[in-house]
Amino acid sequence: MSMIETHDVTKSYRSGEGVMEILHGVSLSIPAGQCAFIVGPSGSGKSTLLHLIGAMDQPTKGRVVIDGQDLTKMTEPQKDLFRRDKIGIIFQAFNLVGNLTALENVLVPFLPRGITPELRDRAKAMLTKVGLGHRLTHRPIQMSGGEQQRVAIARALVKNPQVVLADEPTGQLDTRTGEDVFRILRELQRELGTTLVVVTHDRRFIQPQDLVLEIEDGLLKK
Amino acid sequence: MWRFAWRNILTRPTRTFLALIGLSIPILGVVGLFSLSNGLRMLVGNTLNQIQGVIVLRNNAPSPVFSDIPADLPDKIRSIPGVKIVSPEIWGISPPIENTSLIARTLNNLGDQQKRMQSFLDTPVVTGQDTITHAKITTSVYRKALLPAAENGGRYLNETDRGSKNVVLSKKFANQFKNSDNSPKKPGDKVKIGNEQFNVIGIYHTNSMLLDGVIVMDIETARRVLNRPNGLSDVYVEMNDPVKSDEVAQLIEKSFPDFDARSMNEFQNSFGNLMGQLDRVLGLTVSLALAVGVVGIVNTMLMSTLERIAEFGILRTNGWSQNHVLGLVTLESAYMGLIAGVMGCGLALVGVNIANQFLSGGLQLVVTPYLLFLGMILSVVTGTLGGLYPAWKAARLAPMEAIRFGHR
Repeated sequence: MSMIETHDVTKSYRSGEGVMEILHGVSLSIPAGQCAFIVGPSGSGKSTLLHLIGAMDQPTKGRVVIDGQDLTKMTEPQKDLFRRDKIGIIFQAFNLVGNLTALENVLVPFLPRGITPELRDRAKAMLTKVGLGHRLTHRPIQMSGGEQQRVAIARALVKNPQVVLADEPTGQLDTRTGEDVFRILRELQRELGTTLVVVTHDRRFIQPQDLVLEIEDGLLKK
Repeated sequence: MWRFAWRNILTRPTRTFLALIGLSIPILGVVGLFSLSNGLRMLVGNTLNQIQGVIVLRNNAPSPVFSDIPADLPDKIRSIPGVKIVSPEIWGISPPIENTSLIARTLNNLGDQQKRMQSFLDTPVVTGQDTITHAKITTSVYRKALLPAAENGGRYLNETDRGSKNVVLSKKFANQFKNSDNSPKKPGDKVKIGNEQFNVIGIYHTNSMLLDGVIVMDIETARRVLNRPNGLSDVYVEMNDPVKSDEVAQLIEKSFPDFDARSMNEFQNSFGNLMGQLDRVLGLTVSLALAVGVVGIVNTMLMSTLERIAEFGILRTNGWSQNHVLGLVTLESAYMGLIAGVMGCGLALVGVNIANQFLSGGLQLVVTPYLLFLGMILSVVTGTLGGLYPAWKAARLAPMEAIRFGHR
């Protein structure tokens, strides 16, 4: 069964006085629990496609369906809830909140609703899983890039989402740290049975069982 | 979320502090100005409570000093029903006391700010009372305010003082115009008013700067001192039934339309209206100051939100709704309003306490719990309002738009 489907998705941006089309009708299907890689050269539309799947942006045309729910028909508050409950996102630039500790960053999705002891324990356990059980009270500025990305992974997975989206998760890390981070990500994906979609131009992490979606010039090649 | 918002405002302490100063100063102004208004109300209320009769003046005369009424008016007023005693008075600015004129005293006190201010407020006034009729008045302000014998208050004027050079001084003047040995004036001492020496027979103290600037003497003596051989300034009327003072005042005005019979209730009401207008002017003034404070908060919060726009995008990608972001930024500005309120009210309390050390004559700045509550509420509301626009700006962007914008 497909967890993620896109149907003839187009995305355009206004650029100056003109309109620039980034995606030209992309249709794809990713099964539940699959690890999928979206690969392609810079500027090909990989990240744009990922953002559309994560309800973080709106397609110009076409439909995006996650777990049977059509994102294009959702209102903004519905999308907020959808992202909160079903999507975990990991960025290339980590995008942690500087004022918060590692533990608090992991708890960010729950902050508006209030933090219960159970949620706190869950966040601590997730940080322990990514190897940061001893860094709970450290702030991003006190951590290395690899540690920050592991906090971001913990934040994405703490709510047990159905889909985890990773946008160049090793792009700002050195080779060895990148491998460590990706190993942790893949282990947790397997453990939790989450559907993982990774945007990358680094094919080292692709394994034979993974689904590879190649984009070039806004079109899906394979 | 509360802690998160609190931490966010501490991220840029200098900027936050400057914004807090910008908002706390108007709050200080609100509390300070309205404490002055409260103090004036209390002073005038206390003063008017000491005067229980009706004062008849020329229409539109602001005070007895500027009033002029015919000498036969007291006899006419006596025939009005309800009137018990009518006592004529004359009032005027005093000639130099102990050879010290207002200008000389002001120049002498130039080095002392408190005394300099008081030189203007304490312009001595002479009142001449008809000692025969006045002795029958039961509500005489100055007689009631005579210091007790234990404090060497002396005696008040009576029928035997007709045409004499006897005067009753306020405690303030007794201290201000000292004897040559630097001791305060007391009963038995002499005081020079204009070119004449007078005998001090009594010392009074009303504890109101509006009443304590008066030298009391017999009306015939005052005519000579004030160079006013004819006419009167006002008449003090005491009623058979003090409760009916308003009714009697209306009867007097009806019978003598050229004159204004003011009961103390009327004074209270007029003063209340005046203070109401003053409060509106103060309100307008502090509103302008508050508007400046709001601009400061808007500016701070706008800069803060623009700097953190990517952070709001990140929060949105993690499931925060637009309302959550709106709430966060508004909460931050409300916190700033709260802190500014505490600062402003605290500074006002300190300032008022210091100012009260220098104020005398019954005027004290009064900070009530209601005023502090008002200051706090105004500050929080102002701070919150100041944060609404930046909050809306932060919340309206789509998550990725915010992240892209923030990382530019």
